[in-house]
Amino acid sequence: MNGPIRRLATALFLCFTVLLGAVTWIQAVRADTYRSDPRNARVAIAQAGKERGMIVSADGAVLAESVPDEDDPRRFTREYPLGPVFAHTVGYTSPIVGDGGLEAAYVDALRSRRDLTLSDIVAAILGRDLRPRSMRLTLDSRLQQIAYDALGDRAGAVVALDPRTGAVLASVSKPSFEPTLLGGADAAANWDQLLQDPGRPLLDRATRELFPPGSTFKTVVAAAALEAGVAGPDTLFDDPSEFQLPGSTATISNFGGGLCGNGSQVDLMRAFVRSCNTVFADLAIQVGAPDIGFMAEALGFNRDLDFPLPVAESVFPTAELENDDAALGQSGLGERNVRATPLQMAMVAAAVANDGVLMQPYLVDEMFDPDGNTVSRTEPEVLSEAMSPETAETLTEMMERVVTEGTGTAATVPGVRVAGKTGTAEAGQGRSYPWFIGFAPVDDPQIAVAVMFEPLPAEGTSETGGRVAAPVAAELIRGWLETRD
Amino acid sequence: MTRNTEGVLVAVASALAAFGVALVEFAGGESIGAQVGLTFLVFVIAFGGIHVALRAWAPDATPLLLPPVALLAAIGFLEVYRLSPYRAGLQRWWLLLAAAVTCAVLAFLSRAGLSLLRRYRNTMLLVAVGLLLLPNLPSSGPLPIRGLTQGGSRLWVVFDLGFTELHFQPAEIAKVLFVAFLAAYLADRQAALTGAHRKLGPIRIPEPRQLVPLIAVWAGSLLILVYQRDLGASLLLFLTFAALLYAATGAAGYLVAGGLLAAGGGLAAWRLFDHVQRRVQAWLDPFADYADTGYQVAQGLFALGTGSLSGSGPGLGRPDLIPNAETDFIFAAVGEELGLAGSIAVLCCFALFLAAGFGIALRSRDRFRTLLAAGLTFVIGLQTFLIIGGVLRVLPLTGITLPFMSYGGSALIGNFLLLGLLARASQEERS
Repeated sequence: MNGPIRRLATALFLCFTVLLGAVTWIQAVRADTYRSDPRNARVAIAQAGKERGMIVSADGAVLAESVPDEDDPRRFTREYPLGPVFAHTVGYTSPIVGDGGLEAAYVDALRSRRDLTLSDIVAAILGRDLRPRSMRLTLDSRLQQIAYDALGDRAGAVVALDPRTGAVLASVSKPSFEPTLLGGADAAANWDQLLQDPGRPLLDRATRELFPPGSTFKTVVAAAALEAGVAGPDTLFDDPSEFQLPGSTATISNFGGGLCGNGSQVDLMRAFVRSCNTVFADLAIQVGAPDIGFMAEALGFNRDLDFPLPVAESVFPTAELENDDAALGQSGLGERNVRATPLQMAMVAAAVANDGVLMQPYLVDEMFDPDGNTVSRTEPEVLSEAMSPETAETLTEMMERVVTEGTGTAATVPGVRVAGKTGTAEAGQGRSYPWFIGFAPVDDPQIAVAVMFEPLPAEGTSETGGRVAAPVAAELIRGWLETRD
Repeated sequence: MTRNTEGVLVAVASALAAFGVALVEFAGGESIGAQVGLTFLVFVIAFGGIHVALRAWAPDATPLLLPPVALLAAIGFLEVYRLSPYRAGLQRWWLLLAAAVTCAVLAFLSRAGLSLLRRYRNTMLLVAVGLLLLPNLPSSGPLPIRGLTQGGSRLWVVFDLGFTELHFQPAEIAKVLFVAFLAAYLADRQAALTGAHRKLGPIRIPEPRQLVPLIAVWAGSLLILVYQRDLGASLLLFLTFAALLYAATGAAGYLVAGGLLAAGGGLAAWRLFDHVQRRVQAWLDPFADYADTGYQVAQGLFALGTGSLSGSGPGLGRPDLIPNAETDFIFAAVGEELGLAGSIAVLCCFALFLAAGFGIALRSRDRFRTLLAAGLTFVIGLQTFLIIGGVLRVLPLTGITLPFMSYGGSALIGNFLLLGLLARASQEERS
């Protein structure tokens, strides 16, 4: 009888060995997978109610802070005093839907380390500072508010950069949302409501969505042409009422039809200032896809940008345009398959403003401890030397004349030399994306902007960037230069 | 190891239970108060009481049984307390009652001996069957005792005492009586069972007449499965029966036949019942239907993974996110808050208990005692394997409690009854 019992016991112990193996597999090998599964609320819950560092704007306005609860001072509520104005950049923290924006990107730095986890205890013994870090952003609360108000009730985005450093001065996307809605008890219901909102308020249009850049992309084509020596501002082009695309029956006509100049010949300067499609389709084909693509990539297209927020990769499809001049002609106008984020187009303006040198855009100026001592600071970095200073200077001259006498006169700011380029990208059904990119002051650039509106929903409501987007840029530039005085 | 060492280890387990409660209180921001002292007191009375009873009535019983049980109870209680202080308060009373049952068994059998059970084997079978049928009582009616359907399974009985209701899971006690009956039956019928065999080619198969009890118990288990939808109890009773038949006869044919019948019954149940299909689905891929059927298993895996090597610490994890954490999923709660270290400690405690139990069986010189000790040990080992295997996705989830650890009065009483019988078997074998 002992033989069978021994074998039964052995079988049970083998079963237990399987359990030991399984529990080790789950808790040691696969632990991180289960721990970080988005459906596992434990990590977010552990952070909820804990103190986090502050987030303040460049001008010292509090954007996010942890306020102790009245009845339990060990628990904290996260407050966002400026709410929807900074919702897409600062983000939100929620035990139910997780974190977003910089709150998610910098969760490890912002969180309190006094959790008594093993690694924290070791760090404490080694004398490290376990208090939560705070962060100062490059965003200016006044400029951010101006941009937020200027977009009004329409869907759109504004990005403003300091062209000399790459610091993001403003980044606004509309419609926006109230971040505290995602932190409270009704977070799940509010989240569902925001997700189902047809206006897509959770989407950061400044960085996460791609739009056809329209004629603002002519800045890139002109830069490539100048850099390659294909044309200068005085180079003459034919001035047809329609440009016949090679190898295609399609034609390109100017906005509103008509001629660019006198009907015989027109120079590049005038074509740029008046945003002539016929000339730029012709020019794009003359420069060629490789050179335009090279310039676009130097300015940030087709690149995975190193940025704390998720950024959609702007697209210039060089390879598919190399043997398709008809498509290349349309792409030279920022249409067809060319796509860009508002951040990307602000970088184009910033590179021209900064003598052709594109700076790496950044959002976080410095991290500081609760005593106010700086722990780390972001040093401006060069992302690329996109074009020669001479090319940048010529482009600046062309862009300034867009504002003084061309399609962008609505961007005029009294007493300030403003340079810019308008865009009106087709959205189908007679609708458009109005754009404006630009910078100021021309002799000492301090701000580069991109303004983009989404099309109005109704058919036949096309609006030009010069009429709708340029005034927003003017407001931003005026507002920014006033705060500097 | 001596009885004195046993006493020291039991005191250490009691202190650990109290220390665990203190940590949970501290983690919750409470000041450390009465709960800690009360827990220590209850553990000292319960396990100290069993220790004293062993000294008085079973002085030669192995001292290896009680310490792992005390430690398992301490770890289990700590997690129950962390999940529901209210239920932990009830669990303390159940612990006292269960320990009293162990002491009573030891005192009662110190005169009559285990052979008493052998004489009343048919009574025990009747009581066991009666207990198993109890949940089928009508859910409403004039009787003060009624059945209760919970989570799709009908395995609870409610006693209406007028001022309060008492919930009871009779299968937990029936399983002990059933094993005792089987041990007595098989010890008596050994000759008949091993003697006659037919040959089917090279395979020896038992006389068809001898297969009748096997088939009867198989049918009974299926009935439990069909009417009470209790996959766990059904599987536990049937496999224990097959294992004991094998132990008594040494005929592997019983195991093969038992395995085939279990597989056939399982397959039929899988074809016929939604709840079995859902459990198999949740086992194969808990994340396929995460929000519904796979939720419990998935939350268990999240808990274990988040706990990782060292755990969150008592009171600092979120095992309350797992449905039924204090009963079926207590192992996942331990794994989350005490980490892989705690999980392995629990498995080792069970292994120690099994080793002590099988040791008693192997050293016994009496057929009945051997089968009783082996059966009681096997049922604990199998139950542990079934439920932890379900939590760890080694097996489909069967939904039974983890012995000595899960919240629940009937389970504690049943398993402490089992502990008393095992200690008695050890005493008789050594004296």
